[in-house]
Amino acid sequence: MASSAHTRPLSDVEIRVKALESLLLEKGLIDQAAVDALIDTYEHKVGPRNGARVVARAWVDPAYKQRLLTDGTTAIAELGYSGIQGEDMVVVENTPEVHNVLVCTLCSCYPWPTLGLPPVWYKSAPYRSRVVSDPRGVLREFGTELAPETEVRVWDSTSEVRFMVLPERPAGTEGMSEEALAALVTRDAMIGVTKLKA
Amino acid sequence: MAINAQQALGAALAGSSARVDVDIAPRFKVGDRIRTRNINPRGHTRMPRYLHDRVGVVERDYGVFSFPDTHAHGLGESPQHVYSVKFSAKDVWGREGGERDFIVVDVWDDYMDPAP
Repeated sequence: MASSAHTRPLSDVEIRVKALESLLLEKGLIDQAAVDALIDTYEHKVGPRNGARVVARAWVDPAYKQRLLTDGTTAIAELGYSGIQGEDMVVVENTPEVHNVLVCTLCSCYPWPTLGLPPVWYKSAPYRSRVVSDPRGVLREFGTELAPETEVRVWDSTSEVRFMVLPERPAGTEGMSEEALAALVTRDAMIGVTKLKA
Repeated sequence: MAINAQQALGAALAGSSARVDVDIAPRFKVGDRIRTRNINPRGHTRMPRYLHDRVGVVERDYGVFSFPDTHAHGLGESPQHVYSVKFSAKDVWGREGGERDFIVVDVWDDYMDPAP
């Protein structure tokens, strides 16, 4: 039996989604072009590069960083990012003393305008249940070892407020341009499961 | 009639905040100790079960938002304050909780009471 991705049987979830989509289309409840436009936007246009630009700006511009930490929604909108699942944004800063990490234990809440759609592991039951009870153990699995004296704050997104982590700027990046800095910033660091390296 | 691509994208990019523009006096202020209620509603709720009946400290008042427990069931917005509340892992998990670990959660007014 062939094992290429094109010929493998669809998973139950994929079959269910396809069935639902066909039904909704046949009944005229959704428009194919609207579905395609949304998928294209969140697959190709909105993603963690947006958040990376926000982070890089905060690193090079102390006044922007101050605005970002005080009123995340407005500061992020200054760079042109806003919309669904990012209407009320709070940005939390990682420092040598405090490490922040994000989760949604109830479902999969995530800041779409700055980070795009959530990775599969972020939505998985093991991550959601374990990061609140053993954050240091989960971070270790991501290769992130925290000093015992570092305070860990796990942000559980239960409301319509969406969070984003402002990672620590790596050492040795002093002379770098904003654009080069943005290229260093990863999705996982803005969720808070990893730290950044130069 | 289904919305078209332009309407769908417009709605997504515009978003829709759950904030409610009404002036309600906050029942709690930053620094207050609160205890979450031990509630088990049959319908939609945003109070995580692992935080039932736990003491935390109000860190921030986000303002007034609609209340999903009623709004999700078509029972009205029940606008109320949502607070950022910090819980110590020791208080939540007992001896398994890390000394320097904390959980910060958004808690609606209806989910909590003042704690002594």
